[in-house]
Amino acid sequence: MFLDRMKAALTGSPHTPLVFLGNFEVEDQWADGVNGLPRVSFSAGATIVNRMDEFGLLLAGPGDHVVLKEAPDEDYLTHLEELGVALPRVHTVARNDPARTVTLDALEDQKLLAELSGLVGAWIAPHGTSVLEERLAEAARLPLITPSAAVCKATNSKIYSRRAADGTGLRQATGWTVSDMNELEVALDGARVLLGKGGTVVVKDAFGVSGKGITVIAEQQKLDRLHAMIRRRAAKRGDDTLALVIEEWVAKVADLNYQFTVGHDGSAHFDFVKEAITEAGVHKGHRIPADLAAAQVAQLEDAAHRLAKVLHGDGFHGVTGVDAMVAPDNSLYPVVEINARHNMSTYQLTVQELLMAPGQIALARLYPLRLDGRLTYRTLRRRLAGLLLDAPGGSGLLVNNFATVNAGARDGTFDGRLYGLLIAEDRARLAALDTEIVRRLP
Amino acid sequence: MSEMKTIERSTVSNTIAGELAAILNREVTGISDSTSLFDELGLDSTTVLELLMRLEDTLMIEFDTDTLEQHHFETVGTLADYVIEQA
Repeated sequence: MFLDRMKAALTGSPHTPLVFLGNFEVEDQWADGVNGLPRVSFSAGATIVNRMDEFGLLLAGPGDHVVLKEAPDEDYLTHLEELGVALPRVHTVARNDPARTVTLDALEDQKLLAELSGLVGAWIAPHGTSVLEERLAEAARLPLITPSAAVCKATNSKIYSRRAADGTGLRQATGWTVSDMNELEVALDGARVLLGKGGTVVVKDAFGVSGKGITVIAEQQKLDRLHAMIRRRAAKRGDDTLALVIEEWVAKVADLNYQFTVGHDGSAHFDFVKEAITEAGVHKGHRIPADLAAAQVAQLEDAAHRLAKVLHGDGFHGVTGVDAMVAPDNSLYPVVEINARHNMSTYQLTVQELLMAPGQIALARLYPLRLDGRLTYRTLRRRLAGLLLDAPGGSGLLVNNFATVNAGARDGTFDGRLYGLLIAEDRARLAALDTEIVRRLP
Repeated sequence: MSEMKTIERSTVSNTIAGELAAILNREVTGISDSTSLFDELGLDSTTVLELLMRLEDTLMIEFDTDTLEQHHFETVGTLADYVIEQA
């Protein structure tokens, strides 16, 4: 089981109780004070992202704990129990500020901090570790399963990904890392050559996440415009530092996401590879298993072990996700980006192991919702009658985050997200279930 | 400040609509100052920078990106106000 293996690799025992903390988009913290692309943060999206904390509920085991911004819907918990899911103990923050991560809410809750500090032998397992999670661990007097925030920040930069791939000889798209204005000039010269040959380039924030902080450029004029914008900002701030990567936009037929866990001793375990479904860079789901040949999987396993060695050498241990791509000729780009933290796909593992029968396949899905009022789980269950998973080994949808459905609730209409794992015996049945779910959802 | 200070508000609104249509790759019709950029037109955090760069080019202005705030992007009207303020 992944959870036991991960606990053993990171805490020394498969029985260590963990306190899961779903501080999604921890990149915002890592990016603090870093000069990336000009950007605006939109709190409307943040209210939903901050409730992705509920994913921790299904990654944790019965001896574990999860800190949440709000108590889960009772009917949702009942359904999970009916499925045989042994739930962790839930600790809810005293005050849920929708604009803030679960970590920030927890840091303000003295009673919760005291409660956590009483969990003998427990370790904190954040989505990713920034200075805020370090502060929380200190306040709760519990160790973190990750290395320091400084190491986590360094290893999660896209600049680090490119350098690690270079160092291991793994194939990647032509590109440049940019740490200051001088390196930007060099990178732009290279990018202009690519554009001149009819290519397209992509400029990425070192700490961009979920399609944010990324811009695709096919025309010289647009590149010059971006250059001028960045130059002006640097001059105004009197700060020449930057954190960007510029790469050639290469053709692909599929996005992949694989995961490995780097132990304290430098050992690495390849956990899985899934096909990632993205739209405009935004994560929309996963296909499990990925449609790959054995040789392709072997190539990714080899890449995982090479990257694990580099990460461990730089002081990292922990769960690591890597984005990769399949080119039109079926060759691989084995490292597009390293995310040395939990990934969306990490949170599916415990329920995959528990609820999927051998030979079954799954589709992790995000269903966007447009709601006129709060949707209860009871109502959702009624609406999706016959389509929800009703027993292990069966086919249907398992909701793996219900908090994001109503996170954006306000007067009038609002957007919500329903995350689920759609399980069936074959692709045709998956597609039929998916179509019918979309038809019945608001 | 430059002569762009006299930029016509209607020009700005029309330019925003035109550039949005180009970015979103669809027709953008019937918009007014109160049209929401995110909920109604489908702008998102990935397309904001693209929109700003296009507006700089078309209106021949330069934004101070350190002044960008979420409320500037609520509606076509608030963005038009921001553009005029930056011109």
